[in-house]
Amino acid sequence: MILVQEEDFQVDTLYKSLLKANQTGAVAMFVGLVRQFSDLPKEACSFELEHYPGMTERNLQAIVDEANARWPLLDVCVVHRVGRLSVDDQIVFVGVSASHRAEAFQACDFIMDYLKSRAAFWKKESEGSQSHWVEANTNDEESLERWSK
Amino acid sequence: MPKVRVVFFASLKESIGQSEYIAELALPLSISELKHQLANELDNGQALLAKGIQSSIDFEFARDLDVVPNTVNEVAFFPPVTGG
Repeated sequence: MILVQEEDFQVDTLYKSLLKANQTGAVAMFVGLVRQFSDLPKEACSFELEHYPGMTERNLQAIVDEANARWPLLDVCVVHRVGRLSVDDQIVFVGVSASHRAEAFQACDFIMDYLKSRAAFWKKESEGSQSHWVEANTNDEESLERWSK
Repeated sequence: MPKVRVVFFASLKESIGQSEYIAELALPLSISELKHQLANELDNGQALLAKGIQSSIDFEFARDLDVVPNTVNEVAFFPPVTGG
């Protein structure tokens, strides 16, 4: 399941959706949150996520397809929020179920690494009357190298 | 010449001052050639030539040397992605 949405998500609901009766031996999950990015009070800060409807979903599907090709997975769930968020809000959920923990951990890690560098999302931080677009982190691109076959 | 929808996102959209533009293009042409054409046609189009600007052709990531085909529906330009 791949969802790009403004609404918040419930981790326990997504977790349960990953379980396959008599098959699942491991579930690995990652949740990304909006961390404090300013000295101003939380109420003076906001955070915006823009995406490219149509392309973003394709990007995520391609990443999940690649994970499925690399590891024997039972199910994958990716939920990414867009729109206006606040500090401490949930941004992204990646969950992977498998028979064993190694592939669940690795696939979850792989999907997050690729999501950071290969999915059409852009973050903008606002504090008071100032706002700026977050610049890409070169470490994110370097993180992909460890997955090269 | 065919008209093609070109869309812009995030900081590039703000630099250019518009989210989309209908371009008349002599297809096929490369992404790099398209960037330079738009840089001349749009008031603030020079922003397209900034280092790191990325692109897509019909929702697939593209590079400067990739060719925009005759069958194209939409080209996009944007800064490096920052999701997650």
